[in-house]
Amino acid sequence: MAASLGFKGDLLATIPGLRAFAMSLSQNADRADDLVQETLVKAWDKQSSFQPGTNLKAWLFTILRNEFYSQMRKRGREVQDSEGLLTARLAVHPSQHGRLDLDDFRKALEQLPEDQREAIILIGASGFSYEEAAEICGCAVGTIKSRVSRARNKLQEILDISGEADYGPDAIAAQVMGSTVG
Amino acid sequence: MTKQTSGAASAGPNRRRDGEPLGANSEIGRKLKQYYDELVSDEVPDRFAQLLSQLEQAEPEQQKD
Repeated sequence: MAASLGFKGDLLATIPGLRAFAMSLSQNADRADDLVQETLVKAWDKQSSFQPGTNLKAWLFTILRNEFYSQMRKRGREVQDSEGLLTARLAVHPSQHGRLDLDDFRKALEQLPEDQREAIILIGASGFSYEEAAEICGCAVGTIKSRVSRARNKLQEILDISGEADYGPDAIAAQVMGSTVG
Repeated sequence: MTKQTSGAASAGPNRRRDGEPLGANSEIGRKLKQYYDELVSDEVPDRFAQLLSQLEQAEPEQQKD
């Protein structure tokens, strides 16, 4: 079907997701919006190479991701340095109620290596399958799985929460009993 | 009323989803979505719609050599 007619609209609809992904990758609002802008321009130029019926969102995420890593290479090791700073000043204190503060989570996420962060975002938040994420990142499905797994373990370690995925009635009960306010 | 509802409804048939490290029940999975949803719901600046309109209005370029 004719892709060009709805192409602009399709791009517009994807922008919030692209910005979220760009923010997750770059951890910087200005850089994120630059990435999105570059992505849109590139996507527009290359729209004839997009195969209608395939996943536009995945295609756009791939362009954005390539742009991110290409910019990072251009900037050299500058990025690495700022990462070191972030890590140094990072101190996460899980609250006593066991409820994870979103800000703490954000800081923990910043601490992950890019490849792990992008993997866990694509799978756990952007809604891609392992196969799609592997295609976006240009690697094997097994690689994505292991990156997600390492990312999750690292986050759990940083945030000092239990490795159990099953937060059962115990956790809920603990919360109820702990909430003495009011 | 009997107090047997707690857990039964929320736990569901698949409380353990093996091979799903980011299942809906995991704290990490929930926070990840919360973090991301906040980013997604951020208001999109006009510049992107303007950019697309500009691209749309621009004459299709000849293929470069």
